[in-house]
Amino acid sequence: MTALTLTPIETAAGRGAIELAGIQKRYADGTVAVDGINLRIASGTYCCLLGPSGCGKTTMLRMIAGHETPTDGEILIDGGNVVGLTPRQRGTAMMFQSYALFPHLSVRDNVAFTLRVRGIGKTERYKEADRVIEQVQLTELAQRLPAQLSGGQQQRVALARAIITRPRVLLLDEPLSALDEFLRLQMRSELRELQRQLGITFIHVTHTQLEAVAVADQVVVMDRGHVVQSDPARTVYAEPRSAYVARFMGGQNVLSGKLESVKDGLATLRGDGGQTFMLHLRGAAHSGHPRLSFSVRRDHVRLTKAAAGSAPPVNAVSGIVRAVEYQGTFVKVTLRVDGSQDKDDLFVAYVEEGDYFASPIGVADRACAAWDTEEVHALAAE
Amino acid sequence: MASTSLSAGRRNWTFYALGAIFIAYVVFLYGPMLCIYILSFQGPQGGLAFPMRGVSLHWFRQLLGQGDTGDLMGALSRSVPLALIVMALTVLISLSAGMAFRSRFPGSGLLFYLVIASLVAPGYVLSIGIGLMFQLLGFDTNWYTSALGAQLSWTLPFGLLIMFAIFGRFSRSYEEAARDLGANQFQTMWLIVVPILLPGMIAVALFGFTLSYDEFARTLQTTGPTNTVPIEIWSMTQNVTSPSLYALGTLTTALSFVVIGTALGAIAIIQRRRLGSLTGRG
Amino acid sequence: MAASVAMTGTPAVRMARLKSFALVLPLALILLVFVVAPLVFVLAVSVFRYDNFEVIPAFTLENYESVLQSHLTLSLYGSMLKLAAITWACTLLIGFSVAGFLVFHVRNRLTAIGLFLLCTVPFWTSNVIRMISWLPLLGKQGVINQALLATGLIHAPLHILLFSDFSVVISYVHLFTIFMIVPIFNSMSRIDRSLFEAALDAGASRWHTLLFVVLPLTKSGIVLGSIFVVTLVMGDFYVVKVMSGGSDASVVSAMYDDISTLLFPHAAASAAVLMIILTIMVAAILRFVDVRKELASHR
Repeated sequence: MTALTLTPIETAAGRGAIELAGIQKRYADGTVAVDGINLRIASGTYCCLLGPSGCGKTTMLRMIAGHETPTDGEILIDGGNVVGLTPRQRGTAMMFQSYALFPHLSVRDNVAFTLRVRGIGKTERYKEADRVIEQVQLTELAQRLPAQLSGGQQQRVALARAIITRPRVLLLDEPLSALDEFLRLQMRSELRELQRQLGITFIHVTHTQLEAVAVADQVVVMDRGHVVQSDPARTVYAEPRSAYVARFMGGQNVLSGKLESVKDGLATLRGDGGQTFMLHLRGAAHSGHPRLSFSVRRDHVRLTKAAAGSAPPVNAVSGIVRAVEYQGTFVKVTLRVDGSQDKDDLFVAYVEEGDYFASPIGVADRACAAWDTEEVHALAAE
Repeated sequence: MASTSLSAGRRNWTFYALGAIFIAYVVFLYGPMLCIYILSFQGPQGGLAFPMRGVSLHWFRQLLGQGDTGDLMGALSRSVPLALIVMALTVLISLSAGMAFRSRFPGSGLLFYLVIASLVAPGYVLSIGIGLMFQLLGFDTNWYTSALGAQLSWTLPFGLLIMFAIFGRFSRSYEEAARDLGANQFQTMWLIVVPILLPGMIAVALFGFTLSYDEFARTLQTTGPTNTVPIEIWSMTQNVTSPSLYALGTLTTALSFVVIGTALGAIAIIQRRRLGSLTGRG
Repeated sequence: MAASVAMTGTPAVRMARLKSFALVLPLALILLVFVVAPLVFVLAVSVFRYDNFEVIPAFTLENYESVLQSHLTLSLYGSMLKLAAITWACTLLIGFSVAGFLVFHVRNRLTAIGLFLLCTVPFWTSNVIRMISWLPLLGKQGVINQALLATGLIHAPLHILLFSDFSVVISYVHLFTIFMIVPIFNSMSRIDRSLFEAALDAGASRWHTLLFVVLPLTKSGIVLGSIFVVTLVMGDFYVVKVMSGGSDASVVSAMYDDISTLLFPHAAASAAVLMIILTIMVAAILRFVDVRKELASHR
């Protein structure tokens, strides 16, 4: 299968800009799914709502789609409040998690459904449907029923059905979760390409970090009904705002220590195992809190063998190697840090394949992981 | 707000319209029956319609005293055992056929359509057919032979359709797991399949009993010289014009309600126990 | 034939088939003896001669001639088809509304099951009793006439309420609507709710959703219910006999009268004609749906 190609449509500037103001969703039983969310998504953005299950991301999406009504707050699309409007009036289209293809309608009739309920005649709507079906490369399957299609083909039908009316916002609820690994990677890039061609806003709900950073311009990380960070993909990954985001995004070691002194914006921390950590305080990160957290990327760590009983130098932790996993381009080495209270408090280093096998470190060996002060990223207190 | 109420959201007018139809239907369903239950307690001077002229058990005494009516106790002494036999056979035969129907076998389509034919064929035509067959082959028709068969031709299709619904939700992996853990066929059946399917089997039993106990058209030409309860009722509708008729209706429906209540209660207890043991162990 | 098929294939396949055959054997035997054989006997007797209330096994088509040439037959079928059509329309309307209410509007599953059972319970009680329970309501001194007189809407009791086509249809609807509710309820329960959101998302109105999504997806349930209701009405004799007050007759009640006067071959011929007509009707309805898939939809 080749990538989807779609003819770009006339996309006036300012189409599909979304603003959420104080959105809250409280259910009758008292549970709060979404709690006071403020968020801006610029028009033509590929935005991912990311978070663990139950964080409120799907509820957010459904409120933007008009399938759920917020208890409080406003949803603005291109400046107009759409709360209370039908999906059609909003100019949004949704791609459902399990696609929600009508089982009794052929591919063609599924895609043409929107036009049918708008009272457009058979010839005209089939012409338009066939055009979109061709664009998603399903022309030979146009007469089939959904049950006769593979998962990937069903997804293309759902996509065609959603975009046939040229919405200004396309909402995708876990669009890739029903596909196998190979198709997932392929569809991921096709979705990104489709968004670029259409030039409209995509909002894509997922719980997979790699999926989000791979496709999105803007990644919105959510936790228990709140937005904890909304930034470009690279920023969220490289500069997580909080320990929660750092841990959730992965690829980071989160450490903390007691603040000992500050000199010229350079702070010295004392770790729980007696280690000394240095970090640059930038702006609000230091708020007089006696305890500071920071993150160090797993791939920005130097790992060396260490002698028993030796104290680690500044900006380093030492411990016993618990696991070594070969990952192809690098080797994942997991340490249990000396002096840490929490048994699950592990430190992970990604060692480049060549470096690792030049001086391999085995399970149960003692090792020391060190980093430069420049690699340290201060986290907001939680 | 538009129209998501098919799934969620605020109530809209369709809810109230359909709700009104539903309530009207329930009143339509139960109202007339309630009328005859009340009228069966009519005073001795009362008639077939309202108003009530006093309240008494006169018509029940009349009914049981075999005054102007036939042999009700005799009919009951046949109808109840017959219903119990039909119930047991319906459960066993539909369970076994339901298991076979989980996979296609040669002739399964034909047999399935035969089941449907048996369900939709006019009961009285089958009744005539069975009666003629017994007569021409030189057998006597009797409640425990020809009528039993005639009633099974009515209860089995229901039993089988319910079994289809039950097996539709029953995963074969339970059986495979049991076999895997060393259970033989009978242990698998007795320790795994039957307990899991028990609520459904009680439902089949309920259908077996009540459909037999109330069966009329198919029994009419097959019961032989002695009557079952519905046929007793039928002959009363032809020649009794007193509230005794209603009294009989009340009595026989009360028996049906006891059976329905027992069955539904048993199903509810089993389901609650399963739910309870689930939540209990977290 | 089935047995010879069982002999082909690998031993394991043969074994599985034999097991299946053994499991369905009781069902198959009962249906053969108490459904197929009796119908064969009906066909046989329908071509027998009868004289002086005596059935004589000699071939004749007289019975069919007498059934098919009788004006009575035609008018019986005419009136039964009319009753069946009216009953079908009423039960469909009520059945669809009640099932729709239970499936789509009652949010609590337990409540829905409870209300569904409420509709089902009368089905487990005697049809004859349920039928005669209309007598005290519809009669000349019945509840409805008394109520209408009391409100002054009418000045003399309505006679049309009882012992008329009206009371016959009322009884049919009362007895048979459950046969429409259950299959429609089943099909509706299987509809994925996200389809409604997808329809809404596409801009469909409530009416569109009903027409383009709900109706097509409940078609099989409607068809199944229709088969039940139509065949039940066409095969009825006791409702017509009692509720029309003897003024009306049905195809089967005519058979009942034949049997009472021991005209077995004539009744058998009439039964054969009815079975053929019902088979054609059901086959015509079945063109719309695969019942086996609908009823035995397990994987």
